[in-house]
Amino acid sequence: MDKKVCVLLLDDEPIVGKRLKPAVEKMGCDVEVFEDPRVALERIDEKAFDIVVTDIRMDEIDGIEVLERVKKKSPRTKVIMITGYAMMSLAREAMEKGAYDFIAKPFTPEELRKAIAKAAEALGTPLQSLAA
Amino acid sequence: MTIIAISSDSYGMGREIGEKAAKRLGYSYLDRELLKDIAKCSGIPEGKLLKALEKTPSALGMSAKDQAIYLAHIEQSVIAEFLKDNVVCCGLAAHLYVCGVSHVLKVRVLSNPEVIGKELAPGKSLSKEAVDKLISRNENARKRWSVKAFSLDETDPSNYDMVISLNKIEMQEAVKSIAGAAGYKKFKAMSYSLKCLKDEEIAAKAKTILFPRFPDAQVRANGPTVVVFTKGVKREKQKKALMIKEMLGKIPEVNFVEVHVVNDILREAAESLR
Repeated sequence: MDKKVCVLLLDDEPIVGKRLKPAVEKMGCDVEVFEDPRVALERIDEKAFDIVVTDIRMDEIDGIEVLERVKKKSPRTKVIMITGYAMMSLAREAMEKGAYDFIAKPFTPEELRKAIAKAAEALGTPLQSLAA
Repeated sequence: MTIIAISSDSYGMGREIGEKAAKRLGYSYLDRELLKDIAKCSGIPEGKLLKALEKTPSALGMSAKDQAIYLAHIEQSVIAEFLKDNVVCCGLAAHLYVCGVSHVLKVRVLSNPEVIGKELAPGKSLSKEAVDKLISRNENARKRWSVKAFSLDETDPSNYDMVISLNKIEMQEAVKSIAGAAGYKKFKAMSYSLKCLKDEEIAAKAKTILFPRFPDAQVRANGPTVVVFTKGVKREKQKKALMIKEMLGKIPEVNFVEVHVVNDILREAAESLR
């Protein structure tokens, strides 16, 4: 059986993880949800995820720092940034630091699923049923 | 997956650099030749579209309303081409209407004064002082035009990601620098920037529909929602809002139209005096 794509989902608003987890699991991914960036980073240190989806604006540790830590630990991991404060300078900063994609909130679960499917394909593990 | 929008004080020079950069990168190339297609689709003569890109509205020339309509058609067509990705564009004012899109690399090319002099006064032999004066006058005119049309000064270097002076750098080096910058990660297309571009396309479409009737309308799109700001007197507010909603309801990508009719104080004052 093919190895499942492992996704870490980090957003300090509980509702985001609650809504998105089932949508991403339906794609056949293993999903771990975190609200505290410190706990998420501890988990990232333990395990190399295929895809990390992180909010940008969070207390104490922001998404850009999470991105840098993930890329340092596992350069192959695709990081998708999500934010309610999207603007050109922030989007460019995230891409420059190695983000795979950048999505502005509000977005539909389908938009995130598309970004995850694209990232999985770039990793060489296409999610057959949802790549369209 | 980048778009390069080139602006230059010399259309000929900008075009030459644009073509060379497109060839080097394997991108498609877009310039004022596109006006022919826009003219066919919109029914607006090509000469008027060109004039809208070059002249500031005036009492004896093109009206502000006509210019706004023509520029909206240009904007819509150019953005539709941009959505196909990997494009180099020159001479269509793209740097002014996709300025908030992160995967558009905005380049300003400053030409050699002699080249601009020959372009502005073909066939004439001018002194250096006369050329400088001509260039300065032309720069002021471009500034006025861009501020009037898009509320942005196209001669301001801070509106660009890269400014190249052909007085200091060879053409080939300039092309190499532009192609190199296009490869930077920060100019890569992403979900957000593609959405911004799509939003701009929908807004431009809405402008082409609204401007003939409501030339003062300000239009913004956010996904399938279009927000319109316009002026009106109290008694016509509701009628205006309904009319705008009906007009924009014809755009297939739009499913909600929000209209804000702001009090036209001057008209209200004038009517109260009658």
